[in-house]
Amino acid sequence: MGPVELLHMSVFSQSFSPCGRFLAAGNNYGEIALFSLSAALSPDATALSQKPVLTFTAHEGPVFSLLSTNCHLLSAGNGEISAWSWNELIKKNVKPMWTKRPNYKSSLEIPEINAMIINPRDNSLVVGGGDNNIHILDLEHGVFKAVLQGHSDYVHCVSVREREGEILSGGEDGAVRMWDSRTGQSVHCIEVYKYENCARPQYGKWISCVTTDSDWMLCGGGPHLSLWHLRSLSPTSIFPLKGCQRQAVFHQDMIMSVGEGPFVSHCLLGGDIKAQIPCTPQSLNTLQFNSNSTEHRVLTVGGSSDHIDVFTNLSYRAFSLSF
Amino acid sequence: MGAVTDDEVIRKRLLIDGDGAGDDRKINLLLKSFSKWCNSPLTPEEGFTQYQRMLGTLAQCEFSMGKTLMVYDMNLREMENYEKIYTDIEQNITSAHEKIAECKKEILRAKRIRKNRQEYDALAKVIQQHPDRHETLKQLEALDKELQQLSHIKENVDAKLELRKKQFHVLLSTIQELQQTLENDEKSENDDNNQGSPAGNSE
Repeated sequence: MGPVELLHMSVFSQSFSPCGRFLAAGNNYGEIALFSLSAALSPDATALSQKPVLTFTAHEGPVFSLLSTNCHLLSAGNGEISAWSWNELIKKNVKPMWTKRPNYKSSLEIPEINAMIINPRDNSLVVGGGDNNIHILDLEHGVFKAVLQGHSDYVHCVSVREREGEILSGGEDGAVRMWDSRTGQSVHCIEVYKYENCARPQYGKWISCVTTDSDWMLCGGGPHLSLWHLRSLSPTSIFPLKGCQRQAVFHQDMIMSVGEGPFVSHCLLGGDIKAQIPCTPQSLNTLQFNSNSTEHRVLTVGGSSDHIDVFTNLSYRAFSLSF
Repeated sequence: MGAVTDDEVIRKRLLIDGDGAGDDRKINLLLKSFSKWCNSPLTPEEGFTQYQRMLGTLAQCEFSMGKTLMVYDMNLREMENYEKIYTDIEQNITSAHEKIAECKKEILRAKRIRKNRQEYDALAKVIQQHPDRHETLKQLEALDKELQQLSHIKENVDAKLELRKKQFHVLLSTIQELQQTLENDEKSENDDNNQGSPAGNSE
């Protein structure tokens, strides 16, 4: 990997292993790198322990989404989904368990897969992609069992409302749609850009991040990052962040969000920005919190750089892992 | 005690406990001087001085032995003291650990409470934007009453209109009947006249 390639690298996705000791990161060259957190966080860590223990090419196109189940790592790139066994990857054996491709209607162009999430209710994988549809893959039987149609432009992000069993999806057409996972019908459709206090016409109407914790939803992108109450479908707080947010999560009593701008924003639910912690990459694409392990509870962010920043304490950047 | 074994013993004693060699040597010298004193022919004064000297050495030995005993006691007590402090510190450490765990739980609870409060505030803000329910109900009631009144008036007006219509109808139909009757009468009069005159004419 020459210096020019490193300069142009962007990290699009991250996922922690089920044991919590490894981090997998996917970049725009289709590679996935495995970093050992226990080596990087140990007291006698060297510069070498911040390099990957394993790097392999997973797909031909950029790896936009990574997801971990109890024993598998699912990666999406170039319109297909591959599953890798974590145990095999830790033993440096790079052979995918399976590779599947959703049924795309047009065979000329291969639409990319932008987001994946697991619906724990029926153990299915919800995949949102460039063909404006959401495909649902049953993980037990390995078949695609449903297609949710309704978006008029590609789907950026998906999320799952566990208590009600609904799937939320945000797309380029500016709509956040809520689907019932059993019937596959669109239950609600919120067009965020139509609300005056959220809309930012100078950035567009696209929604690039959707996340929910069953009662509340965060969505942002072209419009401001806003907190919505799902029962009443009304926006309750608008976060005055400059730039478009690409990923946001609920964490304890606050909201962390990353997007354009070299910082992680911590916001309170009321709409105040508590802190903006600076990071190495110029703009960030992905933010992930390691909840699988008690000793390595770190936050990692990656973006338009070959460095992945690791935060051991949420208030400052501890060190960076690099490809 | 031969010279060779002396050295060895001294070496060993030095290795084990260097200070004890002096006391041990004193005891050996005392034994030697005692046997010399018993066996050698000495004048009574010399013998007495020797005796005094030996008593002095004995006292010295007893004194140093007493000192070592006291040091030993002191060490034992010091050890006990240290043991006590050690257990105290261990207890403090465990209680501090527990307190830390408690505080962490407290923090999580407080964060959850803060989150709930913020969610409440956010919803309250939205709700405040909508008008008060009582006022809206009152407005609705007033509008209802107005509506009722107006419909009442409309009913009245309708009824009056109907009545007038019917009255006019009655009037008009009576007039028409009268007109008909008058026309009929005229006609029958004319007929009578016509019939009468031809009849008169024919006669």
